[in-house]
Amino acid sequence: MNRILRSREALVLILLFVLVALIGAINPNFLRARTLLNVVNSSLILVLIAIGEMFVVVTGGIDVSVGAITGLSAVILGTSLNAGVPLPLAILLTLLTGLVAGSVNSVGITFFRVPPIIMTLGTLGVYRGLMLIITGGSWIETIPPNIKAMASWSLLGVRVFAWVVLLIAILATLLVRRLRQARYLYAVGDNKDGAYLLGIPVKATLFAAYALAGLFAGAAAVIFVAQIGFVPMQTGNGQELKAIAAVVLGGVNLTGGVGSPISAVIGALFLTAIDSMLVFLKVPGFWNNAFGGAILLIAVYVDYRIRRTLDARQRQIRAQVRASKMPEIRPQPVTEEAR
Amino acid sequence: MKIVKWIRSWEFSLVWLLVLEVLVLGAINPSFLNLENLLFSTSDFTHILLAALPLTLVIITGGIDISGVSIMGLASIVLGLAWVAGVNVFLAMFLALLIGVLAGMFNGLLVANTDIPPLVITLGTLFMFAGIATGLPGLLDALGFEAYGVAGFSAYLYEGITGLPRSFTNLAHGGLGWIPNPLIIVLAFSLLLSVVLHRTRFGRYLYLIGVNAEAAHYSAVPVKSVTIAAYGLSGFGAALAGVLLTSYFTSARSDLGSEALLPIITAVVLGGTDIMGGSGTVVGTLLAGMLIGFLRQGLLAMGVTSDVVPVVVGGLLILVVAIKLLLSAFNQYRINRRALQSRGSEKGGGSSVG
Repeated sequence: MNRILRSREALVLILLFVLVALIGAINPNFLRARTLLNVVNSSLILVLIAIGEMFVVVTGGIDVSVGAITGLSAVILGTSLNAGVPLPLAILLTLLTGLVAGSVNSVGITFFRVPPIIMTLGTLGVYRGLMLIITGGSWIETIPPNIKAMASWSLLGVRVFAWVVLLIAILATLLVRRLRQARYLYAVGDNKDGAYLLGIPVKATLFAAYALAGLFAGAAAVIFVAQIGFVPMQTGNGQELKAIAAVVLGGVNLTGGVGSPISAVIGALFLTAIDSMLVFLKVPGFWNNAFGGAILLIAVYVDYRIRRTLDARQRQIRAQVRASKMPEIRPQPVTEEAR
Repeated sequence: MKIVKWIRSWEFSLVWLLVLEVLVLGAINPSFLNLENLLFSTSDFTHILLAALPLTLVIITGGIDISGVSIMGLASIVLGLAWVAGVNVFLAMFLALLIGVLAGMFNGLLVANTDIPPLVITLGTLFMFAGIATGLPGLLDALGFEAYGVAGFSAYLYEGITGLPRSFTNLAHGGLGWIPNPLIIVLAFSLLLSVVLHRTRFGRYLYLIGVNAEAAHYSAVPVKSVTIAAYGLSGFGAALAGVLLTSYFTSARSDLGSEALLPIITAVVLGGTDIMGGSGTVVGTLLAGMLIGFLRQGLLAMGVTSDVVPVVVGGLLILVVAIKLLLSAFNQYRINRRALQSRGSEKGGGSSVG
């Protein structure tokens, strides 16, 4: 019971189910498979960015440039497709853009030791500017139909993209559990100096984390272009903040060392589901941000209260055990008057 | 001795960087050197300074507040809606500032009473305040408040509120001689915050909390109330920025200032404040903010499109921090080597220490 209560994933998942059931009770249309699948489809971009962000946050860092990387990658995809580059090559180029953009962050953070928030805030500006410079500031409005068609491929009634993202999420979860190099991420996030003394390649691990965040942001760009069908200049704008909100909501600790790709997926699904729920409650769309922010605050606050209560209870139990085992060295109880 | 220390300080480097920048930009484009233009162009970026100055205090405590950009929009829309509802415009201004302080104190309350990272809290409120700002017109209608005009408050949802009285819009457009009002407000605010930070007990507490909050707590520093006050000040600065932007653009909008997050944090960090807390000055932030602002104006005057500006600002941020880190690493290395050398020479019995 304690373990379930302590896991933020479970808390948020339960909250999500309760909310879905509640909205379903008010408006049964919400529970139809098509609506729920729509929610899943529209969450895919955020899910991918959030998984990437998770790798960074687990190491105790932060990456606020992922939204801009998605935008930049989307622009690269759009322009290369329009220049006649074949689709598979263009997608490869997009992923590469994300990887390189993420690696630039890595270089600054690992080799020049620039604090992550400064480095990625700087590259946020740089990438967003590059995006505007490449396109001359105008939207890419025509995208070849071949990539748009990808968004409507289905398998067993579910979009192929959803399957792919599910596969990536499962793969990432398995890797994080089983792969030694992936465990390094947690070691570095939990205790950098300790990890260094254990012989863990701290710099290489950090490098990989930011590069992965870039790669996932690039992958999100592919889905964005396919689903939306054009590239506005706002592509990815604010997604970095949403991704951070998603991973935190899903239970990844910003101080590092705790979290899994599942957290990122649950958090991203939750944030997207809120938007749809509000639509079904007939709340105007411009309230989305207010509810998203409030729910993030409530989730972290409730988590904080639960953690504190459990810690207090555990301390009490420990004190009792100690008192019953070793009565002879029990310290004098401190009374209020004695203070 | 004090002068030597000042010359070696980061703020002094910023002063000559600023002079150099103005001269270089002036050499490329002589019309940039027109003093009147130069002074009045500051109005384009005073909102960045107003938000960055009190943010310095927050970052010194080891915290961060990214919700300021949303508080700007919230203050602006509150001002506009209050005015539409028939409140005197200066009373509306006061109301907007009050909302800003309360919003900031809300951040501070959460930061002081939980162990949740300030970044997460202000990220949550960033969304929340922005959402409230966009939703407020509709909410007032739903609550049955009366507004001038037929469409109610919702009419202002996407349009912004225009037609604010002259007496209010003159606030940002007027000035004392060549010095525009917003710049005067920025300078006065800097002076005030400087005194608070460097000459009061409250200011010393901020540094102590940033260096070691635990130690501050055991030294009977009222950590909670000091933290809440710091975030409240940050909220006030952002609201003041929102009010001045409203006056400058002569319209109240909920999305005013939403693009300012990068330059605001850049100004604080470039100004020499340690993002981990414990050190920093208000003057540094003021100078760095001016540096970024004039750079932006200069680039635009040179005909560079505004798209390039974030690239330059972002690049500058990374470059300066990287150089500062390399310099301090080099200094450390030199000090270490000198210490080693002097020890070695003592052993050898020689006395020739450089």
